[in-house]
Amino acid sequence: MINRIMTNKIIQSSMPVVAASYLGPALAPNQDATWDEAQLPLNPDEMVLKIMGQPLRRAGRFIKLVCCGALTCLKSVPPEELKDKKIGIFLATGLGNVDEILPFITQVFKHEGGFPSPNQFANSVSNAAAFFLAKVSDVKGVVLTVSQEELSFESALWLAQSYLESGEIDLALVGGCDVFTPTVTDYRDRMDLRPDNHRSMPMGEGSSWLLLGNTNGKKIGNVLSVELDYNAKTQHQLSAKVNILSECEKTADNLKWRHDQQKILLPGFRLTDIDQSFFEESGWMVEDYLPHCGIHPTASAYGLARAFLCCPSAFLLHCNYHAAGRRALVAATTI
Amino acid sequence: MSKSNIDIRGWGAVTTLGWSAKESANNLISGNVRPADFCKSSHLTNRELKAFEVSYAGNPLDKSRAMLDSALTEAFSRAGLTASEIAESCLLVGTTGGLFIRNEYEFTEIVRQNPGKESPPIACRNRGPGEVADTIATKYGINGMIMTFSMACVSSSHALVVAAQLLEQKKIRRAIVVGFDPLLNLTLQGFASLLLYDDEKCRPFCNTRSGMQIGEAAAAVILERNDSDNKRRGAYRFEGGYLFNDNKNLTSAGVDGELAGNVIGQTLTRAGVAPRDVVAIKAHGTGTRDNDLSEGRGLTKVFGDNLPPVISLKGAIGHALGAAGAVETALWLSCLEEGMLPKSFGFTQIDPELGFAPSEINIPAPDGAYLFTFFGFGGTCTSYLIIKE
Repeated sequence: MINRIMTNKIIQSSMPVVAASYLGPALAPNQDATWDEAQLPLNPDEMVLKIMGQPLRRAGRFIKLVCCGALTCLKSVPPEELKDKKIGIFLATGLGNVDEILPFITQVFKHEGGFPSPNQFANSVSNAAAFFLAKVSDVKGVVLTVSQEELSFESALWLAQSYLESGEIDLALVGGCDVFTPTVTDYRDRMDLRPDNHRSMPMGEGSSWLLLGNTNGKKIGNVLSVELDYNAKTQHQLSAKVNILSECEKTADNLKWRHDQQKILLPGFRLTDIDQSFFEESGWMVEDYLPHCGIHPTASAYGLARAFLCCPSAFLLHCNYHAAGRRALVAATTI
Repeated sequence: MSKSNIDIRGWGAVTTLGWSAKESANNLISGNVRPADFCKSSHLTNRELKAFEVSYAGNPLDKSRAMLDSALTEAFSRAGLTASEIAESCLLVGTTGGLFIRNEYEFTEIVRQNPGKESPPIACRNRGPGEVADTIATKYGINGMIMTFSMACVSSSHALVVAAQLLEQKKIRRAIVVGFDPLLNLTLQGFASLLLYDDEKCRPFCNTRSGMQIGEAAAAVILERNDSDNKRRGAYRFEGGYLFNDNKNLTSAGVDGELAGNVIGQTLTRAGVAPRDVVAIKAHGTGTRDNDLSEGRGLTKVFGDNLPPVISLKGAIGHALGAAGAVETALWLSCLEEGMLPKSFGFTQIDPELGFAPSEINIPAPDGAYLFTFFGFGGTCTSYLIIKE
């Protein structure tokens, strides 16, 4: 049984989680807050001042949210624990800095080949946000911008673990960020949401982060496994997968959770066919976090980071479905 | 020299020189190279910017898909991959624009079909850079892990290095690495707005250089872990992959050459290859003042007076942006198959600040270590070696 899941599809050793932060559309770090979809997007400048101590005048919304979310996470760790550590940045995003691309391309078409703003173009380049974050957090080396639609964050998490295992880095700052861009209808189309699939749920945005790796300080949990391409297409298959993970409890140290821990299922996108009662009858609590952050491609980062901070002594299982049918599964424990 | 266990099993490419890597290499070696020209595609609004444009009779969205299909089909065929091998492979894509071309094409079509009416706001219906990988995986039935790197000009070169690392770690068995970037108004006019565009010609490392020119392209390179001690798949190994992000400057790798030299030095050290054992260098060579200074000075710091032949492909095919890593690797491999290294197009005059000329004639391609370098927006650097045996 262990061999079956210990394939190259999942990580093979657990990752200590040193810190976490989550930021949703209400732009209040580490707080569940209500927001009104019709009011989006809220102005982030006050939050930028508070977290960064100075305005980011030339940066767009995506860059601001990336930096604020990641710095909130980093600043929750005593600086001495980060001293002399090689930190890698893994920024996950589904849509990227579409907030900069749209006005730039609008200018291009509006003026039919005019001379649009060079600053706006520079900020629209896909890895500009990762550069800004590297600069404000003084990180050099491994800085990657990863995108894979609704599974972007899980992809970045998987990759971060590979880099931690390789010894290239000591710590991995892994986050997911996507920003709301009007209109709501356009945003829903971009997310490929159909009437039977969260179409009516409020749209959102967020920037949520985990700091992974070993420090001399305390940790808040462990990421146990990340599987990017498991093939459970039905409720039955997903249940079987959960059973496999349960088997691992008995035999694999690195996939262990204690019986006094609450088992929490975090359903990501497209789990409308999940039979909630099945999990509840099996002792699982189902925690749907999407109402707290709204729909955006990297909402899974929000869901996991929030669970690390708000659900102590728990075993977490996060399931996410991509529009084309791919799945990602993350197992974790909190302390 | 250390030996990696990563074989290059196959590759394919579409460039302005041809609809296959082989055709592109043959045209490059024979000097059948057209300069960048004013673009014809219906979705491009500015007709005054020259670029390297792939010829195609249909619309630009269909062309993009055809380019991807052609590059992948060539790569699969060269690798001899079975359907089940393709299905179990992992897919790593490097792209900047991705399928954003759909937005540009649809917008210009709406405007064209509604003459005299006010232009609507441009919609952005694409689902981000990951849509390219999703499209490929769905079409070819790739069930392995898929991941997209959207990191400006190092997107697919980073994807190659990450793939190599995952193969070395035995996280994956085989990686199909794709680079893809079509011509977009977004990037053409973006680089023009940064004053980085040469209206006349792309002249890498030349004293008269004044900017880059964009070329559209698609490519696929298939890397595979070889667990056999003596049975290699093909004649090429991937070695010493190194990626690095500096945080000093958003748009330059630093003209003193320190950063470029350090990155190249790391690659050689990781591969256990001495500078004297590098037989030629596939340089990034964009033709911008700063990039070529950074890179050229970095090369001379590492190689001193014993600089091997330096070749930039961008004078012949343009800068394929996020696709450049996979495209230039595939094209170079096909040149190696033909036994010749092409000259570096666009060069006429030595830059005294650099003090060297890139290769001005075709030369035979011996066995040995070939160095590849890529530098991009956001302080990003990639370097690796391909060993021809």
